[in-house]
Amino acid sequence: MLKKRLVGVVTVKDGWAVQSFGYHRYLPLGKPECLVENLDRWGADEILVQVIDRSKNGFEPDFKLLEKLGKLGLETPLIYAGGVRSEVDGVELIQLGADRIVVDAMLHDNLEVVRDLSERLGAQALIASLPLSWKEHGIKWFDYRYKTSTQISNEVLGLIQSGIISEVLISDWEHEGMPGGFEEKLIEKFPLKDANIIAFGGISKPGQMRALLEYSGVAAVAIGNFLSYQEQAIQKYKEALTNMPVRLAKYKSTFSLIAKTDV
Amino acid sequence: MKIYSVGIVDYGMGNHASVVHSLRDIGFRVRVSNNAADLDAADVLMLPGVGAFPSAMASLHERGLVDYLHQQVNLGRPLIGICLGMQLLANASYEHKHTIGLDLIPGNIVPFADHGGHIGWNTLEFSQNNSLWSESDGEAFYFNHSFCYQGPSEYQVAVTQHLIPFPSIIQRGNVVGLQFHPEKSQLAGKTLLKNLIEGLVHA
Repeated sequence: MLKKRLVGVVTVKDGWAVQSFGYHRYLPLGKPECLVENLDRWGADEILVQVIDRSKNGFEPDFKLLEKLGKLGLETPLIYAGGVRSEVDGVELIQLGADRIVVDAMLHDNLEVVRDLSERLGAQALIASLPLSWKEHGIKWFDYRYKTSTQISNEVLGLIQSGIISEVLISDWEHEGMPGGFEEKLIEKFPLKDANIIAFGGISKPGQMRALLEYSGVAAVAIGNFLSYQEQAIQKYKEALTNMPVRLAKYKSTFSLIAKTDV
Repeated sequence: MKIYSVGIVDYGMGNHASVVHSLRDIGFRVRVSNNAADLDAADVLMLPGVGAFPSAMASLHERGLVDYLHQQVNLGRPLIGICLGMQLLANASYEHKHTIGLDLIPGNIVPFADHGGHIGWNTLEFSQNNSLWSESDGEAFYFNHSFCYQGPSEYQVAVTQHLIPFPSIIQRGNVVGLQFHPEKSQLAGKTLLKNLIEGLVHA
């Protein structure tokens, strides 16, 4: 049976890993590669590195960072987000070590690029990022470059439904960094009931994770800031979710992994 | 004391750092190359891969690696395909269009019944008792694919449950395909790789 996942998120701004609060306030944490190595060692199910200063400034993806991360030889699947503009960018990111990539600005600007990426890399490699908020009249889709909110376009919903993209990263951007802040209505009222969702933004408590993971469409919950407050936080969350369909907590093994050799 | 070597076939699809890191970590020597002379020195060949089937086959053809891999398998050299690399071992795939594969294990690559993907950690169920796989039975591995193998049961070593059971390890002689990513499956992945490579070189 396919397990539900706990995704560790590292947010990068101006070359530094940061804690992010509501898409407007940032606190530095250190070198991104150190945080990624920790998540790899601590047994996250996937690691999402989101570089938030790329599309907003018209920059290309952070290839240098990916190159550094690729060389780490991570044992955990790596997702990259930030500044993906073309099929060429996507191919380069995969060659540098990303297992999957996230598209965000292209969902507003050019859906043809998203289709090309899917054709080249396969749908399983593509995730659509939708920063959402819950307002009186329903779900609003945020374009962080221009600070505008609109309805999710039918074209984007159609694209997701067509299977060109494998999962949707729903970020509750207003409650990002707020303990327990994730607005569950973003999942409950999301218009596509059969979409595979990664929920992110203000997810900090095991009870909240449990409630989200109980939705059939929620394939994963992503945790950012709250992993920075303690060692082995992913494993502690897993322990608290023992009776859920998640991969079990494993801290370490004493099993020898050295290959036998002929003498 | 002999240290076994693994030749990673580089055909321009995906990053090999994680595979290299995992293999070195468990005690193997590793070389990444698209050059026959380099790969000839390896005890085991490995075909990783990320991407879509048609572009991967085109890349193998462009580099003259299709004939090379056939020759090596005919000589009895073990070959392990990972994820897309496993799918390439089959007769053909229907990803985007019908594309002929390496034709090393009978069967085809088809979309899942619901045309969705299978992404995340899932367990393996082995059809036979075999010491090669015993430590991996029931362990979770990382999958990331939208198509799967469909072929004769005699080549299916393990299945994984997703809507219905699908083959997650296939084998024909010294040619083995793993639909998941052992190099991204942490301890479970390294354990499986260690047992598999040692089993193949000692077979």
